[in-house]
Amino acid sequence: MKNKANTKGRIMLFCARFVAYFVLIFLSALCLFSFYMLIINASRSNAELQAGFAGWFSTHFIDNLTNAWNDASINIPRGMLNSFMIAAACSILTTYFSALTAYGIHVYDFKLKKPAFYFIMAVMMIPPQVSAVGFVHLCNTLKLTNNYLPLIVPSIAAPVVFFYMKQYLESVLPMEMVEAARIDGSGEFRTFNQIVLPIMKPAIAVQMIFSFVGSWNNYFIPALLLDKAELKTVPIMIAQLRSADYSKFDMGKVYMFIFLAILPVIVVYIILSRSIIRGATAGAVKG
Amino acid sequence: MKKVLSLVLAAIMVLGIASAAVAEEAAGKPFIIYAWNEEFKGFFEAYVQDALIAEGYAPQFVINPSDNGVYQQKLDEALLGDAQVDMFLAEADYIQKYADSEYTQDITKIGVTDFSNAYEYTVKAASDADGVVKGVSFQCCPSALIYRRSIAKDVLGTDDPAEVQAALDSWEKFEAVAADAKAKGYYMTASFAETYRVFSNNCTSAWVDADKNLVFDAQIEAWIAQTEKFVENGYTLTDGIWGDEKNAQMFAEGKTMCFFGPAWYFNFCMGNAQDPEKGCSGDWAICQGPAAHFWGGTWLMAATKTQNADAVAEVMNAFINNEEICSNLVAKNAQFSNNKAVNAKFAEDPEYGSDFLGGQNDVAVFAGMTDNIKWENHTIYDQLLNEGLQTNLQEYFKGVVTKDEALANFYKYVNETYPEIVTPE
Amino acid sequence: MRKHKGVSYAKWGYIFILPFFIVYILFTLVPQLTTLYYSFFENYRDGLKQIGPNYVGFANFIKLFTPDKTGSIDILKYFGNTIILWVMGAVPQVVIALLLAVFFTSYRLNLKGQQFFKTVIYMPNLIMASAFSMLFFTLFSRVGPVNQLLVSSGMADEVIDFLAIRVSVRSLIALMNFLMWFGNTTILLMAGIQGIDQCLFEAADIDGANSLQVFFKVTLPLLAPILVYTIITAMIGGLQMFDVPQVLTNGKGTPNRSSFTMVMYLNNYLQTSKNYGMAGAVSVVLFIISAGLSAVVYRSLSKSYKN
Repeated sequence: MKNKANTKGRIMLFCARFVAYFVLIFLSALCLFSFYMLIINASRSNAELQAGFAGWFSTHFIDNLTNAWNDASINIPRGMLNSFMIAAACSILTTYFSALTAYGIHVYDFKLKKPAFYFIMAVMMIPPQVSAVGFVHLCNTLKLTNNYLPLIVPSIAAPVVFFYMKQYLESVLPMEMVEAARIDGSGEFRTFNQIVLPIMKPAIAVQMIFSFVGSWNNYFIPALLLDKAELKTVPIMIAQLRSADYSKFDMGKVYMFIFLAILPVIVVYIILSRSIIRGATAGAVKG
Repeated sequence: MKKVLSLVLAAIMVLGIASAAVAEEAAGKPFIIYAWNEEFKGFFEAYVQDALIAEGYAPQFVINPSDNGVYQQKLDEALLGDAQVDMFLAEADYIQKYADSEYTQDITKIGVTDFSNAYEYTVKAASDADGVVKGVSFQCCPSALIYRRSIAKDVLGTDDPAEVQAALDSWEKFEAVAADAKAKGYYMTASFAETYRVFSNNCTSAWVDADKNLVFDAQIEAWIAQTEKFVENGYTLTDGIWGDEKNAQMFAEGKTMCFFGPAWYFNFCMGNAQDPEKGCSGDWAICQGPAAHFWGGTWLMAATKTQNADAVAEVMNAFINNEEICSNLVAKNAQFSNNKAVNAKFAEDPEYGSDFLGGQNDVAVFAGMTDNIKWENHTIYDQLLNEGLQTNLQEYFKGVVTKDEALANFYKYVNETYPEIVTPE
Repeated sequence: MRKHKGVSYAKWGYIFILPFFIVYILFTLVPQLTTLYYSFFENYRDGLKQIGPNYVGFANFIKLFTPDKTGSIDILKYFGNTIILWVMGAVPQVVIALLLAVFFTSYRLNLKGQQFFKTVIYMPNLIMASAFSMLFFTLFSRVGPVNQLLVSSGMADEVIDFLAIRVSVRSLIALMNFLMWFGNTTILLMAGIQGIDQCLFEAADIDGANSLQVFFKVTLPLLAPILVYTIITAMIGGLQMFDVPQVLTNGKGTPNRSSFTMVMYLNNYLQTSKNYGMAGAVSVVLFIISAGLSAVVYRSLSKSYKN
């Protein structure tokens, strides 16, 4: 009897695995295909790109790489460094302060708790396009152009990230732990930094990835605020290649740069996605 | 972990602020030029920069990409605000927005007075409604009919530019030849909008009248009627002006006889035709076609608030009146310069010719047609009205919507883009 | 916990949320409120000339809801388009992401090559939306490889103009949004599941629960807060859909404006003439719709999982 159930279980498991691998491989193929198209295009010359799409690599990968690298109007390493500084700062600030805010609203009871929560939820609904131009105007008035502060500091107040942290705390944080820490004489900030933050590691890693990518790919606001060559970020430089004049216009360089721009983000993603898993193990030990 | 993160953060903040505060190399009086790419910067550095530096100026380019309208948005912010702008670049499509405003100044008052060698339309384009000249162009972009020699031979029995021109010098003849081409299995054009500029450059009324009513000029109506006929009879493909399907027609195996465009178009944008294997370089020639027109071009505009008017005038004069610089623009930079005398020199040079055009002297053809180019009845709204009309009508020509629906969508687009314009009921 | 040993912790609540509110008010709220305020004004640029602001009451809103001569109200049409595009992309996105998150976190399945799959499914999100749309545009153009394949294999008699057919444009937009965001959602849900105490899964296992029972009785209820987050943010993101249709249809929402979204509409008002009056009115409408929908979703879902 038990044996039979076991066999049945094994067959079920086999089927489940089969389905899982099938779905994963299918979706991965779709995703890799878009990436593949990009690499193909990065290996083709401007004339070949104009000739339409091709299914296989061409021979201009190295040409495009050196042309993009040597293009006098842009400085790729500088752009990557600039983008990295902004994106790293944003992702650290946004996750820390969102977690802090979420913790504040989740754990403490105070008069304005509900209004504060509903306020943040409400502002999440306002499309970002609405405040973009006003924000740029504000920065112009405050003489904050050609400065990274207006690109970094606002990330402290990210309603979407806050909402995630709040929901995450709701699902993982036992109040007893906070109480226990207090009995042990831990201060409120210490409790947050040393007990709560480690529990939230998976959530923090996830949102760090998202905000890093969001900031890395952000074009419109940085383009309106920065115009000094040494301060420009990757998306601005890509747009610059795209608005090159006819004698210098080269889509091969554009695709190459788009391709190059993805590589650092993949590294960041792989590093951070490890802590999603590590966080879980820590959770298991804690339990 | 936490310590590492806060260290990283602190480092970034410091670096960020420090790099924002990088000191300018203030080796002279700043001379600020706004541009969206490096084309003019290259000419500027090659031909005038040294002289300006010797006079104590420190020229600086502020370059913002044109994607998403960033260039114009930042230029507007700078012109309306208190940032320094001495000179800025503008394209034909939107030049009136700046020329016909108080933010550009009369260049005849700062020392640019001799326009005898510049083409008339380039001067008019940079003038306001009262004819006050606010800028100059460093290039001239007459646009020609670019035809495939082999197809012309098959259809017309000749590929000689003068004879082809005689066969195509009016719209009636153009349509008759389109029918012949079709009978032999060719397309006359590869985009529904291929002839748009040829019509719209010759409008006799502006897009918008004095009461801001949207007006369809007879030329625009004629373009719509012609394109309807061309699409219905299969004389043209329905792709956009930059579309892949049109580009594919430039290969040797392409079946399209006519394209329209200036020197920059066939030198830099007809990549498929120049492809060493599948292309057909040398199998092309140009003539004026049914009507004179231009496409593109970049103008230098003088900002009203400049404190460096002398330098602005010096640069402008250099690019329209300095024969040496203008000759270099033609010989070294493949430009059709904005100086009639210089261009005439190249037009008469028997050695000068384009391999792509089978040895034809393109400067001679262009020099012959520039006098017929008009700049009349332009408004600050032209760029988006032309674009909006084309993209909305494309759906009609493709048979996706009715003409009424297409026009209704165009009016909606106009109302959203320009609240001040009144569209027909 | 309100008064623990006579100590009030209320002030800590204020201290913890203070940085968020200071920064938000300084950098975002001011421009946002200005926009909302201007929805009651005529306020735009004619070339370089500033027109207004002139107070016009509700005129901008009335204009938004005035039917055109065929009797249809534009903003409702664009709202409908947005909802259709969103549902087509977001429903598969959440369902597939949930499935994948369960796959990845199931110790019973114990899939190999997880890091590879997790990286690959997130990759489309790393490509800029505009580049992603450009790639699809060339892929599905009349001379693109998809058409070549269809015609040469005899599956289609003639070239299909994918970008001129309502169903195919909408499907492409939905597909692209799905591809760009399902990996993102999977990671979110995965982090949520990882946060659940593993003991609960082990206990369920010892009690002899099968996979489906574990999913519905353990995973889903405990994941509910994160799922609510996912649905609400997917909804807000969907209502604010912009870059993919904008680039794919060249800002026109072809064919016949059937893939024209609310934010593309807003963008048309803002881009050229900086029409804060009309753009403000559109965003107020969008805000009211988003807030209403989110409140309903949040209330109903939160109630169902808290019970």
